Amino acid sequence: MTWRGAPGFAVTAARLFAVQSAWSYERMLGIGFGHAIEPLLRPLRAQGGARYAEALARQSRFFNAHPFVASIAVGAAARAELDGEAPERIERLRAALCGPLGALGDRLIWAGWLPACVGVGLLLVAVGAGGWGVAAFFALFNVVRVGLLVWGLHAGWRAGMRVAGALANPFLQRGLEVVGPLAALAVGAALPAVLVWVVRGAGMGVAWSVAWPPLIAAVAGAAVFAAAAHRIGTRLTALSVAILVLGVVVAGGELWP
Amino acid sequence: MTGGEILGVTAVGVLAGLDLVSVPQAMTARPLVAAFAGGWLMGHPAVGLLVGVILELFALETLPVGAARYPDWGPPAVATGALVAERAGTTVAAGIWPVLLVAVLVAALAASVGTWSMHLVRHANGAAIRRYADRLERGDPKALIALQAGGFVRDSGRSAALTLLTLLPGGVVIRLLSESWRAPAVVAEGIVLSVALGAGVCSAWRLLGRGATARWLCAGLVAGCVGVLLWA
Repeated sequence: MTWRGAPGFAVTAARLFAVQSAWSYERMLGIGFGHAIEPLLRPLRAQGGARYAEALARQSRFFNAHPFVASIAVGAAARAELDGEAPERIERLRAALCGPLGALGDRLIWAGWLPACVGVGLLLVAVGAGGWGVAAFFALFNVVRVGLLVWGLHAGWRAGMRVAGALANPFLQRGLEVVGPLAALAVGAALPAVLVWVVRGAGMGVAWSVAWPPLIAAVAGAAVFAAAAHRIGTRLTALSVAILVLGVVVAGGELWP
Repeated sequence: MTGGEILGVTAVGVLAGLDLVSVPQAMTARPLVAAFAGGWLMGHPAVGLLVGVILELFALETLPVGAARYPDWGPPAVATGALVAERAGTTVAAGIWPVLLVAVLVAALAASVGTWSMHLVRHANGAAIRRYADRLERGDPKALIALQAGGFVRDSGRSAALTLLTLLPGGVVIRLLSESWRAPAVVAEGIVLSVALGAGVCSAWRLLGRGATARWLCAGLVAGCVGVLLWA
């Protein structure tokens, strides 16, 4: 079956954006997976309603992976169902894809592309791009997000049961190598730039205070805070520590003599 | 804030809340985008941008990973962006710092409430799935649509509640505490910057400070500092 002939591709792609709408601890992405794959399974109706219903029930069971690359599994599972693979083999395929797709998405997106885009966005804001920095962050992130979804669906559909080969795609592997350092570089460069941007008036043309003393105080305070938050990080997140510190400071500011 | 403004900010808060997990995960839930949108709605995008940048430093380690529990920054960021923009008015001056300090605290608390609210929605989704279990086993596509729609509605309600919680009680807290702030504004400025930057550094290190990426993070920090010195 050719890719061009795949029925319901556009609807499945659109539904994949909502693959986590009914996320639950029991089935995780299962319901969203079933909802997304359903348009691709419609040709099975012509072969008798039972095959379609069995396939849909199977595809709505537990599934867990990174939502952006779940499209690979959706494409592969749909192809396997339409090719008439044995139900046990399809279930094994779904189960086998959970771990690798989760790890791939976490490394590529959550620990790579997202922080990289945040870093670039913050850096652009800090050098005076204003709202365009926000737009650049949004556009950069979503080019890859949408591209990955469509590519994944295509690659999964073409590969079917041999989908493991799609995960070895050289472009994907190269991306995994590059994205971590890129994120680290972008975030690292953005942090000092943002600090100076804020101290110099956050692009609003107003010097809010003498530039250097708060700058030095902020860097020293940040170092103390980061060290403290990192040290007690196993018990509390940086956010919890921040809430504690900010709460104490707000109370102190109210009681100031 | 007028009724229309509250409605507009809540609508954008709902979009940001839905974006975190349900649909479409386009990262409008990130504070950088959400607070900017809140400020823009109130006619002061630059103030919204400042709030967004500060909150983004706190949110740097917030990654919506599967079953993990993480703060929901989207609706609180939209609301605080709008609230600080409203308080800033047309003149932005040193007096904004106490407002920003209290607003960051309110946003952080609301984001923590977001963690808990998402947990409730996930349990409610689970209960709905159990109710539809028979239909799901029969391969009924309408059951899938009903469950997806139900999840969407629950998450919309959660996001609206979180936005309104930040906007209304949170707005009162921001107004009262910032107006009665007695310490010099520079204290608020120093603390907001220290804590935000510290949280950003700590989060960046936790996220990227392992193996080879740690070296790239240090290289980025050095490059950023050199750039800043040349620029300043």
